Amino acid sequence: MSDARKTQAAVQTTGHAWDGDIQEFNNPLPNWWLWAFYATVVFAVVYWIFYPAWPVGGGYTTGVMNDITFVDSDGTEKTMHWNTRALLLKDLQESKSATLSHEYLEKVKDADYQTILGDAEMMAFTRSMAVGLFGDNCAACHGAGGTGVIGLFPNLADDDWLWGGTVEDIQTTITNGRYGFMPSFRETFNDKQLDDVAAYVLSLSGQHKADASVARGKAIFQTSTGGCYYCHGHDAKGMKSQGSANLTDQIWTIADVPDADTQEQKLAAVKAVVTHGVQRTMPHWSDRLDKTQIKLLTVYVHELGGGQ
Amino acid sequence: MAQAAMGSSQQYNYEICRKFAFMALVWAVLGMSAGVYIASELAWPALNLDIPAITFGRLRPVHTTLVIFGFGGSALFATSYYIVQRTCQTRLYSDWMATFTFWGWQAAVALGAVSYMMGYTQSREYAEFEWPIDLIILVTWVVYFLLYVQTLRRRSQPHIYVANWFFMAFILATAILHIFNNLAVPVSLFSMKSYSLFSGVQDAMTQWWYGHNAVGFFLTAAFLGMMYYFVPKQAGRPVYSYRLSIVHFWALSFLYMWVGAHHLHWTALPDWTSTLAATFSIMLLLPSWGGMINGIMTLSGAWDRLRTDPIMLFLITALSFYGMSTFEGPLMSLKSVNALSHYTDWTIGHVHSGALGWVAMVTFGSFYHMVPRLYDTRLYSTRLVYVHFWLATIGIVLYITSMWVAGIFQGLMLRSFDDYGNLAYTFVETVAFLHNPYMVRALGGLSFLSGVVVMSYNIFMTIRNARAEAAILEAKLAAKMARI
Repeated sequence: MSDARKTQAAVQTTGHAWDGDIQEFNNPLPNWWLWAFYATVVFAVVYWIFYPAWPVGGGYTTGVMNDITFVDSDGTEKTMHWNTRALLLKDLQESKSATLSHEYLEKVKDADYQTILGDAEMMAFTRSMAVGLFGDNCAACHGAGGTGVIGLFPNLADDDWLWGGTVEDIQTTITNGRYGFMPSFRETFNDKQLDDVAAYVLSLSGQHKADASVARGKAIFQTSTGGCYYCHGHDAKGMKSQGSANLTDQIWTIADVPDADTQEQKLAAVKAVVTHGVQRTMPHWSDRLDKTQIKLLTVYVHELGGGQ
Repeated sequence: MAQAAMGSSQQYNYEICRKFAFMALVWAVLGMSAGVYIASELAWPALNLDIPAITFGRLRPVHTTLVIFGFGGSALFATSYYIVQRTCQTRLYSDWMATFTFWGWQAAVALGAVSYMMGYTQSREYAEFEWPIDLIILVTWVVYFLLYVQTLRRRSQPHIYVANWFFMAFILATAILHIFNNLAVPVSLFSMKSYSLFSGVQDAMTQWWYGHNAVGFFLTAAFLGMMYYFVPKQAGRPVYSYRLSIVHFWALSFLYMWVGAHHLHWTALPDWTSTLAATFSIMLLLPSWGGMINGIMTLSGAWDRLRTDPIMLFLITALSFYGMSTFEGPLMSLKSVNALSHYTDWTIGHVHSGALGWVAMVTFGSFYHMVPRLYDTRLYSTRLVYVHFWLATIGIVLYITSMWVAGIFQGLMLRSFDDYGNLAYTFVETVAFLHNPYMVRALGGLSFLSGVVVMSYNIFMTIRNARAEAAILEAKLAAKMARI
């Protein structure tokens, strides 16, 4: 420190003074600074030798001893000077993770569902890949755990399947999408009839005592007055060809009955669905995901809800 | 002392410096409040309140425009006018031109902020102003340029002081950047909407040529000009090396213009352009550090000043953050590092270590030196300067470290694979991870903002006291005159 002060005291200023007292020493450039600067220049020049760097005429210097060999999208092997696209293609084909994943994918691609479901290793791979596919494509609506949002998006992790829970059904759902529809009965029924139907629907899962209202509701439901049985069936267990809900279990997808505290709230929740009907869409994924990806997702979703 | 200062306040146009300094603080409080709010929106999205005008997309350019152009720009006008007059020992060439730049600049910043909230934007980062506001800026800037050159021409000093070289480079480069990046065709004379003259990768390249040189010339060169006056002035010591100032000035000005493309690594940009940007960024490291060395070494032999002078503390801390972020920048400009860091919050952290640590801190130090002199008085409270210093420093540290954690970990999560060669995390899982760092970041921003509020109070009281003192003096003088 004292040395530095001594040398600086020996250094002259440039002789000008601005604004009264601002002066400048004329210290030489610090050596470490100068040499470090030269080092960065050397780094840059070396970089330019090995990588595409300077535009020359209509082209550019491509760099030497830095070629990349990769398989192009048309299947032919190509060798090119270093460039980021070739680097990415090579990485997608040859990196450790890519080759590993590719190997499993080939196996799954040709296997049928029974084989996959029965093979512990293929199932482990399926879970590993499909959790990402599900997270990036499905979770936005159905949630990361597939539990859905009541009233909006079906729960995939329960035992109930609106459109069928076999692997074939699930694959069809993902591939083609679904359109869930129940007509609105706002103009068909008067308010009292809506109350009666709601009471009957609740009684189907044992959540309403058998009274006169339930009897009136049953008459509407089970005859052509309401015609509810066309889709839900006389047994009210729903039809997977229509995507109509099973009304006899305790699982609810639109009316939030489980969260209703009082009987009045339960009735109001069911009545709202009968009044307004249901219209909801799941998009088709055949344009966005390939067959193997859909297969992986099918197995994953099947497993989520303990499929049929 | 009082007489000399009285003399200088007549000799120089101090009124324009006072006006710009005042607006710099107004924009700082507003712009940083907007920053804290959008940081909180990222941590707690419900704060959108479903009001389109205050969603992140619209408030973010309000934040950047108010802090960069409102606060930073007004601070540069104030200090550059102060410095050019004092180092040339001459009054500004024209008072009306100075006043014109004041109203032009304030109008552009205010109209910009309002138009963004209404949904008007060019969608060019840091150049979101639509074309009518671009024209206001253009006219203002040309007047600024002419005023500065004419003032330099009538200096009563044989040499032009180094601070003024940096200000000239800043004014000239900003004019070129602003004009070329904003070349656009309006939909009609009466429409706010316009379309850029460039398209595709050329458009992106033009934007980032502008974007990075806005950092280089607006936020670096100009603030180095500020540093070159206030550091030796406050320290009362000569600048460390004239030679170093020449070499790093030209190296910095030459090299900065090449590096913008490092914002576009791994995109449709040709690989050779990427390489040039990365290598020039590396070569820019030492020229950037030249300014830091010259500033910090000016204090060599008077380090004890840091113990007693909080203004010096601000200036030297600013230079340290400048050194840190100009080291981090070249590192991030390397393609392999950029592959991890780009599109993560590491970039946001890097920008703020420069913006809060360097730009804002050097401005605070300079203002604490300049404002009392503009009003011929003493600072209201030195204690509050210390309070401001610690609030600001703690704020910056919380901000930068939380963004390192957020950025580096998100980058690592996005590229990690499991035992089957599949991506280990979904995108949304990496977003969920960001919640905690985002809360810490908002807290850091709040700490920094409260420091600025403390400063504003301190400056406000300083000005109030100055006015009271002046009134007493005038009353005494009047009484004396009456007796005669």
